[in-house]
Amino acid sequence: MKVNIKSWRGVAVWKWIAKDDNCGICRNAFDGCCTDCKMPGDECPLVWGQCSHCFHIHCIMKWLNSPQVVQLCPICRQDWKFKE
Amino acid sequence: MASMQKRLQRELKSIQTEPPPGVSINQNSVGSSLTQWIVDMEGASGTLYEGEKFQLQFKFSSKYPFDSPEVTFIGPNIPIHPHVYSNGHICLSILTEDWSPALSVQSVCLSIVSMLSSCTEKKRPPDNSLYVKTCSKNPKKTKWWYHDEKV
Repeated sequence: MKVNIKSWRGVAVWKWIAKDDNCGICRNAFDGCCTDCKMPGDECPLVWGQCSHCFHIHCIMKWLNSPQVVQLCPICRQDWKFKE
Repeated sequence: MASMQKRLQRELKSIQTEPPPGVSINQNSVGSSLTQWIVDMEGASGTLYEGEKFQLQFKFSSKYPFDSPEVTFIGPNIPIHPHVYSNGHICLSILTEDWSPALSVQSVCLSIVSMLSSCTEKKRPPDNSLYVKTCSKNPKKTKWWYHDEKV
């Protein structure tokens, strides 16, 4: 039997590889977006700290930009440094 | 919906489905804007507060969870505890300078239950009468000194 493919449609799925399912700050899914965004993915990326905890970039930036003396990871309270 | 309300909506759901022991949300107290909740709390068994009932008031600003909630004991029974003033104000570092947006109503309630549970002698803070005379209505405006790590 010979099959001629007339057309095909590719479907891809993606997900962030993170230890948790939800952002510890906004509590939304990592595969979703922060409460201010509409589209998950590149528009609302995740970011990791050197302590290995990760958050939506918009969530951790709001925390780091809020008035405080030292900038700590919200989860482990170590100094927050972005993982290179 | 503002992001503060979205997060509080999630918290409300999770605390209703899996409430921490001795803690329940007073449903009538939660308005549609979610900016103020009242939590009913029971003293843990085997502690000095066993059998006692307390009420905690939570007030959330629009900056929650980046800004800590304002948490005070209200109602007829304010626990007699070295970190709880007779006006309901609580000296607890996670409510001000040690606040983190990863904390929640649930974790604050657990901290307060555990603060009560580890108490060995029921007494008011030593500076109670001066404090309640001079403090602001909002405990977040108090510059707290956290010096006692034991209870």
